[in-house]
Amino acid sequence: MTRYDLIVVGAGPAGLSAAIEAAKRGLKVIVFDENAKPGGQLFKQIHKFFGSKEHKAKIRGFKIGEELLREASTYGVKVELNAIVIGLYLDKEVTVKQGEEIRHYKGDTVIVATGASENMITFEGWTLPGVIGAGAAQTMMNLHHIKPGKKILMLGTGNVGLVVSYQLLQAGCEVVALVDASSKVGGYGVHAAKVARCGVPFYLSHTIIRAEGEEGVTGVTIGEVDSRWNIIPGTEKTFEADTICLAVGLSPMSQLLKMAGCHMVDTPGGVVPESSEKGATSIPGIFVAGDVSGIEEASSAMIEGRIAGIAAAEYLGFIPREEMKDHLAQLEVALLSLREGMFAPENRGKIIEKTEEGIDISMNLLKMGYLEEEEVERFPGVLNTKGIHPVIECTQNIPCNPCQDACSRKCIKIGSKITALPSIDESKDCSGCGLCVASCSGQAIFLVNEEQEAGYATVTLPYEFLPLPSKGDKGIALDRSGKEVCKASVLEVKSSKAFDHTNLLTMRVPLSMAMKARFFVRQEVC
Amino acid sequence: MSNHADVIVIGGGIIGNATAYYLAKKGCSVLVLEKSKHMGDGGSSRNGGGVRQSGRDKRELPLAIYGVKNLWPNLSNELGMDVEYYQEGNLRLGKTDAHIKILEGLTQRARESGLDVNMITGAQAKEICPYLSDEVIGASWCPTDGHANPMLATLAYYRKARQLGVRFITDEEVIEIRKIKGKAKQVVTKNNLYEGDTIILAAGYDSRKIAATVGVDVLMTQALLEVLVTEAQPPMFYQMLGTAAADFYGHQSTHGSFVFGGSSGYEGVNKDNSTPVTNSLTASCICRGIMKYFPCLEEAKIVRSWAGWIDDCVDHIPVISKVEEVPGLILACGFSGHGFGISPTVGMLLSQMAMGEETTLDVKDFRYDRFKAKI
Amino acid sequence: MKERNDRSVSFGAYLPEADDGTIICRCEEITKGEIRRAVHDGMFTLTEIRRYLRTGMGLCQGQTCGALVKRIVAKELGVSQAELEPATSRAPMRPIEMRILGNERREA
Repeated sequence: MTRYDLIVVGAGPAGLSAAIEAAKRGLKVIVFDENAKPGGQLFKQIHKFFGSKEHKAKIRGFKIGEELLREASTYGVKVELNAIVIGLYLDKEVTVKQGEEIRHYKGDTVIVATGASENMITFEGWTLPGVIGAGAAQTMMNLHHIKPGKKILMLGTGNVGLVVSYQLLQAGCEVVALVDASSKVGGYGVHAAKVARCGVPFYLSHTIIRAEGEEGVTGVTIGEVDSRWNIIPGTEKTFEADTICLAVGLSPMSQLLKMAGCHMVDTPGGVVPESSEKGATSIPGIFVAGDVSGIEEASSAMIEGRIAGIAAAEYLGFIPREEMKDHLAQLEVALLSLREGMFAPENRGKIIEKTEEGIDISMNLLKMGYLEEEEVERFPGVLNTKGIHPVIECTQNIPCNPCQDACSRKCIKIGSKITALPSIDESKDCSGCGLCVASCSGQAIFLVNEEQEAGYATVTLPYEFLPLPSKGDKGIALDRSGKEVCKASVLEVKSSKAFDHTNLLTMRVPLSMAMKARFFVRQEVC
Repeated sequence: MSNHADVIVIGGGIIGNATAYYLAKKGCSVLVLEKSKHMGDGGSSRNGGGVRQSGRDKRELPLAIYGVKNLWPNLSNELGMDVEYYQEGNLRLGKTDAHIKILEGLTQRARESGLDVNMITGAQAKEICPYLSDEVIGASWCPTDGHANPMLATLAYYRKARQLGVRFITDEEVIEIRKIKGKAKQVVTKNNLYEGDTIILAAGYDSRKIAATVGVDVLMTQALLEVLVTEAQPPMFYQMLGTAAADFYGHQSTHGSFVFGGSSGYEGVNKDNSTPVTNSLTASCICRGIMKYFPCLEEAKIVRSWAGWIDDCVDHIPVISKVEEVPGLILACGFSGHGFGISPTVGMLLSQMAMGEETTLDVKDFRYDRFKAKI
Repeated sequence: MKERNDRSVSFGAYLPEADDGTIICRCEEITKGEIRRAVHDGMFTLTEIRRYLRTGMGLCQGQTCGALVKRIVAKELGVSQAELEPATSRAPMRPIEMRILGNERREA
């Protein structure tokens, strides 16, 4: 039987990272993935990632995927696509459907990195065509270039719901509302803010009562829930919509491990294998990495993958134990830093009301998706200095620091604790280069200049929509809530390779709007 | 709640559940102890569902005939739940002269025991089931055979017995049967101690080690068989199927899916990891077997396969027997992979034995002490 | 609360609920009401529910409805969801044609 040192199931971020680390150390590695394309969910992640350099922060997901594939091929990893692993049997035997046949393989080690699938929730009409997972919507638009619908209601304000809502807007869909039964936005405030300023209303403490329509979705009725999750009569609202996206969490796809006989644990986040910090399961030689061992995100999946790959190398004697320990110690640190901040394990399920710095979190951000103007100023990234200067509306502890590295003048400071709120160093001069604006994965940095021209201010904002406005275009400025606040004209639109498709749009607004205007909509010229 | 019952049944498979039901109907208090967390978790949920008389050992045949005649036809009605019983006949198929010889032998022996079973030609078989491969040259045909859904039949007995007041405890592994003053009386589990006037041991292969606690052995071994199921197909045919070469057996269910059982030929030496696990070779082997006879099913998708240990008696028929030297103990094990079809009859007989009634059918062929050395 | 292993335990009569008609298992079209009734019929584990009703036995093998069924059963039994053992996983992990499953190649 064909035998490999390592068989990896799943060519997503975790699986590829595992394969690379193992192959680097001399293991003969094969990766199976049931999809036609490798990369798992990475290739539909068109947004920039959080983190620090070592986590590939500010790089867009699909580019990380390309990088991983290049690296895998450099080290001779064999990636078999359209290869469905149908069973993991005793003695670490894997059977795979490839083409029109079943092939048997044995692995001296096996790393299962099969990822997760989307959860569903039920309501009247949930089986109508037009009710889809948010991840499915993302696949449709970002991989297949098909709009999932014209008018879409998103259920769930976790990061998936927020990020996909934004991408739906980018694809030209209308997002009629973001709805969540929870009383607070679940995902990062910066992701919420970029959707809110496009004018999408948030309905927290609301849930879907029913999908309207006979043959397919034609509308959605939502209602407000009380503290016991019952609908409060009289709060029903109906939206016209052709699509309902559900972003209500993910469940690990751990069936292969259960079939193999690994000890499983049933957690609130799904059924996962018992595993050590090295990713070792209860069966010697079978390891796990990524969402299959507990839902997190791609950045941590990549580190978990690397850990499992190195652990497999040590298990088979390709590297000494000491060497493994050194590597793992470093990776542990990287992993722990990603697990800090508002989504740290100890904060799970908690509503965080103060930042680590002791500043009150904006309740408005948690309830409506945007900061009120008077709230902005209490955060250290917002200082009203002279001339052009960054305004950093980053108000929660996120494990992310590219803005600090982006500024060559050292105006922006986060320090060694990656989750600290960025602050402005007044003593340093801002050159207005805009690299910080483009580097912020949360699109929370703006350049404001209140001294350019008497009575007017300029606001430079990150802009990722097509068609791109051009210099001289007239339009309307929107505030953080998406409300039209004043007329605005485009002074400049900067695009550069260094900005990686985040364009910097500078608009001119009345001086009083400098700390209000945060988005631009071009008005059609008749 | 009292830990005492008139009868304690060890094993919540179809034999145990059927017995509990028939006992409860007689007004007896019954306690069923099941090792698994789930009812019917052994062979009862891992079999092809055949309700056959043909192809049986002649000692077992009266039990099968009795069930088909008297119990199966009314079972859904009696238990208040559809057990998906179809009496559309059994085709045992052959493709070679050697196959036909095997089938003729089986047919002749069954006819001698009074069963209506015939040899038919390939063309006649195709008339009964037009989906057969042209390579089939003959078959044995027993029009009164059929099949049912083993999981539903097991749960139907359980459900009805429960309604009649039978007490069921799951996740309750029996460690020991203890004699009190010369009579089997106590049943010791991991967590509890129970007492019954009669103890019926119907725990599949596990019966062997439990029986050993009162110094009784049943000569059996275990074999790992597999079952697989297709996605739902349009209604095609409802005969029970088997082959002379025993490549596979199975049927189309009410749901539309085909349920097939079989093995790779290694069933006696397969291993597991403490729960029965499928083998990497078996499902593929069963598929090849099926396609040789039913090429029309080659595009049908297999959605699931599962495995289960059967308790195979050394002479391939069960032990259904009182143990005189251990008064109070009744053995019901070693069903050798064909217990499902006779389970209603066996349940009825065991209930009679436990009540000290005369049994409807003679059970002397199933005595526990029938085994003799070869010379 | 411990998983209920004494099957004679009674937890009240089956009372219809307004959303009993909601389909929970899409593959096999099983409703919430059917699942609730099955619990009252004595099916206390997800495995038994699955064998009794076919929930999670369809094309998706329960990946979609598994958690939904579990929530309903736990509520009906009055136990915590963690007390219910998830149903077993079976090969093949994806539905596969007999023609292909039967076509093995030992050396690749």
